[in-house]
Amino acid sequence: MNKEILISVSKRIITSFVVIFLLASFIFVLIRLAPGSPTQKFISPQLSPELANNVAKSFNLDKPIFTQYIYFVKNIFTGDLGISYNYRMPVLSVVKDYFLFTLFFASLSFLIQMIVSYFLVKISFYKSGGIIDKSLSKISLILFVTPSFVLGLMLVYIFSVQLDWLPTSGIKSIYHEDFSLANQIWDYAVHLILPLITLSAAGIAVFYLYLRDSIAEIYNQSFIINLRANGYTEKNIFNKHIIPNAIRPLVSIAGIEFGILLGGALITEVIFSLPGMGRLTVDAIFNRDFPLVIGCSLIAGLMMVLTNLLADLIKIKIDKRLVKDLLQ
Amino acid sequence: MRTLKNIFGSIIILSLLVSCKSENTNQLKKVVIGISSDIETINPIYSFSVDEGVIDETLFLSLVQFEWNDEIGDLDPKPMLATSWEWAPDSSYIIFNLRDDALWSDGVKLTSEDVVASFDIYSDPKVQSRFYGSFKNLYTDFDEHIDIIKTFEIISPLKLKIKFLPGSVPAMIDVVFPIIPKHIYEKMKREEISTSEINFNPVSNGAYKLKKWERNQTIVLEANRKSFLYKPGMIDEIIFKVIPDYNSRITQLEKGEIDFCELIKPLDVNELRKSGLLKITSVKGREYDYLGFNNIDIKSYAEKKVIKKNKLFGNPKVREALAYAINRNEILTEYLNNFGELAVTPVSPIFKQYYDNQLKPIEFNPDKAKKIFADEGWKDTDNNGILEKDNVEFKFTIYIPAGNPLREFAGTIIKNNLKAIGIDVSVEKLELGKFLDNLYDKKMDAWMASWYIQIPLELKTFWYSDLQSTPLNFVSYQSKDADRIIDKLSIRLPHNVKIEYYKKFQEIIYEDQPVTFLYWTDDIVAYNKRLKDVTINPFGALQKLWEWRFIE
Repeated sequence: MNKEILISVSKRIITSFVVIFLLASFIFVLIRLAPGSPTQKFISPQLSPELANNVAKSFNLDKPIFTQYIYFVKNIFTGDLGISYNYRMPVLSVVKDYFLFTLFFASLSFLIQMIVSYFLVKISFYKSGGIIDKSLSKISLILFVTPSFVLGLMLVYIFSVQLDWLPTSGIKSIYHEDFSLANQIWDYAVHLILPLITLSAAGIAVFYLYLRDSIAEIYNQSFIINLRANGYTEKNIFNKHIIPNAIRPLVSIAGIEFGILLGGALITEVIFSLPGMGRLTVDAIFNRDFPLVIGCSLIAGLMMVLTNLLADLIKIKIDKRLVKDLLQ
Repeated sequence: MRTLKNIFGSIIILSLLVSCKSENTNQLKKVVIGISSDIETINPIYSFSVDEGVIDETLFLSLVQFEWNDEIGDLDPKPMLATSWEWAPDSSYIIFNLRDDALWSDGVKLTSEDVVASFDIYSDPKVQSRFYGSFKNLYTDFDEHIDIIKTFEIISPLKLKIKFLPGSVPAMIDVVFPIIPKHIYEKMKREEISTSEINFNPVSNGAYKLKKWERNQTIVLEANRKSFLYKPGMIDEIIFKVIPDYNSRITQLEKGEIDFCELIKPLDVNELRKSGLLKITSVKGREYDYLGFNNIDIKSYAEKKVIKKNKLFGNPKVREALAYAINRNEILTEYLNNFGELAVTPVSPIFKQYYDNQLKPIEFNPDKAKKIFADEGWKDTDNNGILEKDNVEFKFTIYIPAGNPLREFAGTIIKNNLKAIGIDVSVEKLELGKFLDNLYDKKMDAWMASWYIQIPLELKTFWYSDLQSTPLNFVSYQSKDADRIIDKLSIRLPHNVKIEYYKKFQEIIYEDQPVTFLYWTDDIVAYNKRLKDVTINPFGALQKLWEWRFIE
């Protein structure tokens, strides 16, 4: 069985790489067909007209798309994503710093979404039908439909402008280096509170609503009634029987959500001036920085594939019967 | 629940503790400048944007420093790396005497060799510098690379002669470029400079040096104590903080988290003034908005390169009538809150000696516009509310780049104004890349855009008839009279004659109205009142940062 799983996972990884390659090729063609050119910024009254031509030549932009694609394929198989036109650095070096931040920020947000939604569901379960349960359902619906830019600006207005408790943006203060280590850590922490709330709110609402519904469904099933009849405590039933069953459908959604988060959170990054993948990707698109756009897309695609794979593995861990689904 | 309460409580308390700590460290002399996007390079070889230019000027000095002379409305050269200079009587060369106390940030002394190397690198096609092709008045090879032997004569390590091409009309601006260190660049292959480490870790010669650059976060410059510009009281650190969201920049300005910010929207000025913390001023006369019309038939030009008059906009009288029909004052007062002034020609009022005061902005006069249209044969014969002539209705689309509220507002006003005199106009937004593509390819009949003008005054790039050599003449303006003046301005002329020619040029443009000049828009700047000695004039909002001080 283990060998079969291994072969199946390997197959899945290979197909994923093919998908990612096709994605990169699609973006390669799409961005070149889009209007605008990377050398547009070199056309200016202050600059020589020859400069734009020279730059285009050095980036092979004067060659036909097919020739450029051949270069691209050759490079991609040697792990070279090219040089960013704007940063004049290898794409991977540019992406690295932004991705590390996004990885940290997205993981933290994801963790918060999971933990908070779990606790809220627990509270709401124990107070089922009560005012807290009803309020939580309503609040989570409001959070789900509130656009993140509205929530973000609202939080900044309340906590930064009116109460002056938290900083408005950035990941650290300009006096960060003058602080002691403990203060530096807290400096990071206080800077990330509002962005994390903004980014996590909708996710918490989604997880909460899914989990709450799932629990309600399982709660009325006959095996739960049976357990209760056998004298199991409510706490025991909830932790050992309801949650493991209710969490299964949530894992797939969690995989997708985490994959999206790892691709960048543009709105939150812009409002709070965070150096994440979302801003990098959008800036690269606006600047027609072709290699960087492809680099960012590849990373986002790769993350989506990995998180989905991870979600499937977690599902198997929870329920061994799902191995068959994976093998198919 | 209790746990959540505890966590939240702890966070609040600790954030307060950190805030207290921040207040204690406020004694440090740090100034924070809010910018909307990160810079791409810190190397003057490649810097393009305004922010990159500001940072480069602070890090890399030139032989002379240009300063704005408001009396005459032009630039004055002041000593910087050069203590003095001497022009040849026939302007065939210039001799610079360099300072003997100018040092690179790594301690090496700056000499004439560095100046020569800088020009050599900037003009080398392999380097792809932004200055490439800017050395028309110096001796260059076939590929525009400066001929070093013919151009430079190093008289001593601190004395240098630069020779100009015979027959050229050299000016100081031809030799004012940021000087870069020879001892660093001589170790590199020219092709590799663009991707080298030096672009992020520069050896500079200015009043400040780079301390730290955190991508999309901050660029921190620290006072260079080895610089001859260093004086006690100078700001210790100048921090450029990247804040992409406009509202966040305004909030931080009000809270005192940032000290300086440009490009404030006119509608926010009153609110900012109320805070009592900020001084509001503006840079005037550097950017004008215009309603552009293709003066030629774009189809004929695209297909056969034949220049034929545009059916709608080829007649100067019609263009004049359009100017009469548009209420520019309404846009200026309603949207810009009078932070700007009506534009008359492309010559900015800041160029006081060249600006023609006799020419007045074309008034809003729809009746006069209607009369001109009627005189030119445009009449609503079929009573459908739209003017027509030779079976052609006067209808067109104005294209504007997406994401510019001012142009959207102006587009609505213009549309309504023109509709009132029988012109059917629609306004369409285009993504910026598409908009620029269409502009360069002459695919639009009408559009709204702006020009950020150069100092010193430059006309040929925008208004010369030869469309092959002037790709930025987007409206394809054709005028033999204007060409003659532009040609004459490129030869050596007595100053008073030059002024006359500039005024004559404005008269021609005023008469031809190749575009409808809308308004000069101010760059509104707000800065914290704790700052003093901040120089803001048409040359820029951020200049000579080493002169900034805190009010004690």
